[in-house]
Amino acid sequence: MATEAVAPTDPLEPDTSRRRAGSGRWKVTGGLLATPMVWVVVFFVVPVIMVGLYSVGAITLLRNDHYMSLEGWRFFISSDTYLSLFWKSARMSLGVSISAVLLAYPVAYLIALVSGKRKYTLLLVIIVPFLTSYLLRVLAWRIILGEGGIANTFLQTIGVIDEPLKWLFNSQFAIYLVLSYVWVPFVALPIFVSLETMDHHLLEASSDLGASRMRTFWSVTLPLSLPGVAAAFIFVFIPTLGEYITPQLVGGPGGFMFGSAIQSAFTAGLDWQFGSAMAMFLIFAVAILLAVFGRFLYVKSVRE
Amino acid sequence: MNAAVSNGGRRWLWLTFWILVLFLYAPLVILLIFSFNDRELVSFPWQGFTFRWYHTFLANDILLGTLRTSLKVATGAAIVTTILSIPASIALVRRQFFAKGLASGVLLAPLVIPLVVLGTALLILFNLVGIPASPVTIAIGHIVIALPFAILTLVPRLERIPVALEEASRDLGAGWFITFRQITFPLLLPALFSAFLVSFVISFDEVVVASFVAGDNVTFPIYLYSQLRLPRQLPQVIAVAVVILLISAIVVIVAEAGRRVSDRHLEAEIAVNEEEVSLS
Repeated sequence: MATEAVAPTDPLEPDTSRRRAGSGRWKVTGGLLATPMVWVVVFFVVPVIMVGLYSVGAITLLRNDHYMSLEGWRFFISSDTYLSLFWKSARMSLGVSISAVLLAYPVAYLIALVSGKRKYTLLLVIIVPFLTSYLLRVLAWRIILGEGGIANTFLQTIGVIDEPLKWLFNSQFAIYLVLSYVWVPFVALPIFVSLETMDHHLLEASSDLGASRMRTFWSVTLPLSLPGVAAAFIFVFIPTLGEYITPQLVGGPGGFMFGSAIQSAFTAGLDWQFGSAMAMFLIFAVAILLAVFGRFLYVKSVRE
Repeated sequence: MNAAVSNGGRRWLWLTFWILVLFLYAPLVILLIFSFNDRELVSFPWQGFTFRWYHTFLANDILLGTLRTSLKVATGAAIVTTILSIPASIALVRRQFFAKGLASGVLLAPLVIPLVVLGTALLILFNLVGIPASPVTIAIGHIVIALPFAILTLVPRLERIPVALEEASRDLGAGWFITFRQITFPLLLPALFSAFLVSFVISFDEVVVASFVAGDNVTFPIYLYSQLRLPRQLPQVIAVAVVILLISAIVVIVAEAGRRVSDRHLEAEIAVNEEEVSLS
């Protein structure tokens, strides 16, 4: 999916309006783009800017907001609690993205390069769970991992353990497992696309030149699929940075994340200025990540 | 010799594939099984087979009300998203213009924003401008989230529709609207259907942004989320969940199958259309 985003910039695509003169072309393009762009600007770009303005008190809505003040930022930066929550969330995102990529890569490899004609059916089999309800999939894991859950009952029945395993549920393990589970199908897609679009003759060429399959994989296939891997990684890492639903539902007391802090500042805490400062901090983090890795999201194919 | 994999490697990869399939589907199957368990708590032991939970949810007005709200929101969001995605993807595929990278960046940016940020941002916007919370405010947020997915669904299909067909139509004197209606739209239709479904599914399942801007309007995911934190009526919620799960899985599979059939016919359709164009 990620890699398809590029197609628009393909310069080989002929321009239907080439017969029209300068200003007319602009009108057509502008007319096409106007409504969707206005929507995204009004309901996405402007609100995000408002979060920034709110965090410094240029906008105030609640009685306890400080007009034109860095109080929210000061409170956030000076408190170790919230910064360490951010790093906790970052560690979680990193762990989840890496395990999702490691789980998805061999399967994407199989589907793209080995499975032959059935590949789109197999891909669909992997992706369908992603299109079912997110909360339901989390719920299913609670039934499996919970105290009287299937995993513990099963392990006790066959006699592997005597006591229920405590680390299975309401633990960091549960958060990592469930989030990886949720994201694997989505990760498989960009990796599949990058493996599928690469020039498969290169593999034959490599083997004709005497390279072993291992050598071919490490020197040809893997490097050519890295843009897809990077795209997959970033597509999991960024949304997970703000994730608070799954940690709350399966993480127990340790499931309080940076996203939970933002959410509770806006609901229970009623400190929107502080919440805006944290939300803005998250946006800066995302912007830095996109500046570094963003180019991988716009690679059409890895041919040549 | 296959350069991608050895025979041993092939077996190993297939094993990985089936393990992953088991990992992905087993929790869903377990959910299905437990929806028939005759017990108030959703856990072991198994106390017998029952349709009780399916009957109780059909009599639960609060739950049915949340489903109606979600259907309304998702339908509205999916319609607007699909309509907005048509001109956006045509501009991105068919037109060359200055700052195209920027335009596509802005349109696709919601793909990479943590939803908690979008939720807070919209909460501030709606409060500042004075728009009261309603199913409409929820739908507005969902359209922002779904639009990139809809655009990315239309773009590959648009790229496969030959520009020559549209040019021929224009050369024969048809205006842009007639060209769109007679040529582009019918060829784009299967992808539009997919874009609608994807947007619908995204909206129907979305809980984070919705919980920020919903006010008193409880959607099904918000209800489900509250039930998961404080389980009171969990078994019947699971029964609804299973029904939704099966419906969405069937819809997705049918849509994908349909899309593939229509893709296979695309070349043929184009040939026929070209003939029609040259005849008229």
